[in-house]
Amino acid sequence: MPLRVGEKNFENRIHTGLEDAFMRGAVRSAQERLRTRKQESSEELGDWEAWRDLGEEIRTHTLNHLDYYLEQLSDKVAELGGHVFFAQTAEEANDYVRKVAEEKEAQKIVKSKSMVTEEIGLNDVLEDDGREVVETDLGEYILQIDDHDPPSHIVAPALHKNREQIRDVFRDKKGYENSESTEELTRFAREQLRQEFLEADLGITGCNFAVAESGSISLVTNEGNARLVTALPKTQVTVMSMERIVPTWEELDVLVSLLCRSAVGQKLTSYITGLTGPKGEEDVDGPEEFHLVIVDNGRSEILGTQFQSALHCIRCAACVNVCPVYRHVGGHAYGSIYNGPIGAVLTPLLDGYEDNKDLPYASSLCAACTEACPVKIPLHEHLIAHRQIITEKENLGPLPEKWAMKMFGSGTSSPRLYRLASKQAHRAMRPWTKGSNIPNGPGPLKAWTNIRDLPAPASQRFRDWFANRDREDKS
Amino acid sequence: MPRGNIQHRENFLNHIAEQSGRPRSQHVERPAWKQQPQWQVFKHESSDKWVERFKKQCEHIHTDVIETETAGVGETVAETIGRYQAASLMMWEDPRLEEAGLNKHFREQMANLGVETHIWDKSKGRENINIAEQTHVGITYSDITLAESGTVVLFSSADKGRAVSLLPETYIAIIPQSSIVPRMSQATQQIHQRVQNGETIPSCINFISGPSNSADIEMSLVVGVHGPVKATYILINDQ
Amino acid sequence: MKVSFFITCLGDMFYPNAGKASVQLLEKFGCTVDFPTSQTCCGQPAFNSGYHQDAKKAAKQTITAFADSQYVVTPSGSCAAMLHEYPQLLQDEPEWSSDAELLTQKSYELTQFLVEVLGVENTGASFKAKATYHTSCHMIRLLGVTSAPQTLLDNVEGLEMIDLPNKHDCCGFGGTFAVKMPKISKEMVDEKVSCIQETEADILIGADAGCLMNIGGRLTRKNDAIKVMHIAEVLNHSE
Ligand code: SF4
Repeated sequence: MPLRVGEKNFENRIHTGLEDAFMRGAVRSAQERLRTRKQESSEELGDWEAWRDLGEEIRTHTLNHLDYYLEQLSDKVAELGGHVFFAQTAEEANDYVRKVAEEKEAQKIVKSKSMVTEEIGLNDVLEDDGREVVETDLGEYILQIDDHDPPSHIVAPALHKNREQIRDVFRDKKGYENSESTEELTRFAREQLRQEFLEADLGITGCNFAVAESGSISLVTNEGNARLVTALPKTQVTVMSMERIVPTWEELDVLVSLLCRSAVGQKLTSYITGLTGPKGEEDVDGPEEFHLVIVDNGRSEILGTQFQSALHCIRCAACVNVCPVYRHVGGHAYGSIYNGPIGAVLTPLLDGYEDNKDLPYASSLCAACTEACPVKIPLHEHLIAHRQIITEKENLGPLPEKWAMKMFGSGTSSPRLYRLASKQAHRAMRPWTKGSNIPNGPGPLKAWTNIRDLPAPASQRFRDWFANRDREDKS
Repeated sequence: MPRGNIQHRENFLNHIAEQSGRPRSQHVERPAWKQQPQWQVFKHESSDKWVERFKKQCEHIHTDVIETETAGVGETVAETIGRYQAASLMMWEDPRLEEAGLNKHFREQMANLGVETHIWDKSKGRENINIAEQTHVGITYSDITLAESGTVVLFSSADKGRAVSLLPETYIAIIPQSSIVPRMSQATQQIHQRVQNGETIPSCINFISGPSNSADIEMSLVVGVHGPVKATYILINDQ
Repeated sequence: MKVSFFITCLGDMFYPNAGKASVQLLEKFGCTVDFPTSQTCCGQPAFNSGYHQDAKKAAKQTITAFADSQYVVTPSGSCAAMLHEYPQLLQDEPEWSSDAELLTQKSYELTQFLVEVLGVENTGASFKAKATYHTSCHMIRLLGVTSAPQTLLDNVEGLEMIDLPNKHDCCGFGGTFAVKMPKISKEMVDEKVSCIQETEADILIGADAGCLMNIGGRLTRKNDAIKVMHIAEVLNHSE
């Protein structure tokens, strides 16, 4: 499944989202739970702002020296006998993994949750070669067996589905016969997947953070599937996007702590697994062969630009969980596997403006995202910067808007013109005024008054009152 | 193990440097971070207080804590196994477990109760995995224990297989109180120091906080997904 | 203390009473208030929509209009926050950037000015009513004013303040967002309206003309009798 998913047209996607009453209920209650939990667990620390500052400083430093840390990482991995492949593009990454699978004659491949493999569309490539690829994260598993329904949240991919829908998917696709209780559904998935783990020839994981100093990768999960994927198959392939790296284990601590609290309000998730190279010579479990694929796929174009801090993202979804726009339209409306505020920032950077020019406008700029981000990415400022590029560089802004803004520019820079226009407003709007409101405005005001009344411009502006008062005072 | 391959590195890294508008970074010192709140957590508290915090946190992560004196470890584990009505157990080949009381006598006791005992045996290779898969209870020793998050840190090795804490439905960790530190920071600092000293660190280090769980369905928490469904910590009063 | 008042474009045209109340409040606490008549709009609509060249024109006009002022006070958190954007917006124009910095330093939102500069926590107002307060996003998150309005409102005699559920959620105004993404904006304002209704307050108080226009307009469209007031009007009210 590549970066862009679902229906092409933004308006249609919004419409579908807003019409989906169940999804909206699900998102609302999920958001409420997640943000309360995050709130509590970050308040508990007492000095959350200091933690955020530290997170930001670590990410900034690491991204500023990314080549150095990636070099160190790859040297360490190779020293331990692991193989490292640097992939500039999605194709290069996919081709490499495909070759490894071929060499190992892998029939069955188990995967733990990974955004970057979704982004590069790895599953399709492997499946086209006739291999069976099994997603083992519960949410991903549900989506996969439901004919590859796209994920709608970067941490909880099946957030848009309720238990009845999941029961039906299990029944139709896997012959499930029990109830819609979450315990029974989960138990069923456990039983179905256990066998897959034991039979798999190849395990594929993402990487939450690589640790440069020791050539380690870390996986943060609750379900334990990533542990199975990396303990049982004889070959392990880890696909990481190039920015997901920390200098040492000490920084791993900080970022993992920020991630767990921000993503799910836990102090630590059930499992944080640090893996260093293939298994030791005498070790029994763990992979005999380890491949690390480091993916660029457009990220380096963001380095050195005003958007560099977008690469600081640790994919915790805290910004998604506080976003009022996401709350109403849901994840699919973004048309990208990266949704919510970070999706609106990242998708145009990775996929260009042409098809994503609406995304940066899907925000009221309330800055709740910026406030929530554990590594202090100024998300709403990035959205404004995108808008600037769309209107002033790419020239993709609608024409009437461009004219309106031109007039705005000349109007506001000429006090005389401005005063005149605002003085006329009361009289000009009189034909549409009912009482003190305008319920049905003309022309461009329609978009406003379709939904809410517009107050009628006051007959005496503030500045008139002030001027009169001044005059009276003086006389 | 022979050195692994690195492919396509130079172009890739040169491109990064170029995009960043500078030559390749030759040497980078990790700076002293301006803020370091992680070291403040529980800093001025006594180790008794850490133990208390640890126990409290375990309530939140669906994990039973059973306290015992040094002499009573075998007994306590036996009782726990009985409570779970388990018919088999598997544990690490680990002298610390032996010393703690999971010794010959304990194994005999288990045998009398009809509980099969398996010890991870590297000479049996992958057969260990099949055993672990069929076994009801997995037992390991905690290398470092984190008060804040109720976490046991496990360093895997040839004798200390990854599967023991993963495949059986029930997981038991043997935890000496003296292994408790405030939080993850102290554990990662130790690992960092080992790396700096040029030591090879274990190929797998797990930070485990309770049984596996998921909230992927309607955000409602279900305990027990792919890993263990139940977890018990046996806390030894060794201080 | 000399204060120049920045009414803002929406305030000037739609909420003159909020402006009057603000001026009276400032005078009550010893300020001499002037009104530079060459002021227009802070430039936010263009800035937030990405038309920074057009926004710069408004910014320069505002800087010029308040060049001689000691303090600039405005009854809008959002516009005050916009004035704080000027140094960034004009960073490539050296002849403007230092003036932009100066303006930022002397600009305040009304309640912020009352509490932080004048040290006023009680304006001596009295108002017998049940009210709830809508925090504006830009005031708390961009300007960083989190408690001043609440402090002042809590001290209004007779005013019963009811906490607004989900108070930190945006009302869906967002400037041009309200007309560019009308469907989403409608859902947001509807959710806000139902939270307000839940409080059973008689009055909704806000500190930003944009939010008041949006929420107020939706309330009257729904024939809801809840009255919408600017915080300055409440703080200047006496029974
Ligand atoms: S942008 Fe920040 S808040 Fe959003 S997912 Fe990334 S790290 Fe988390």
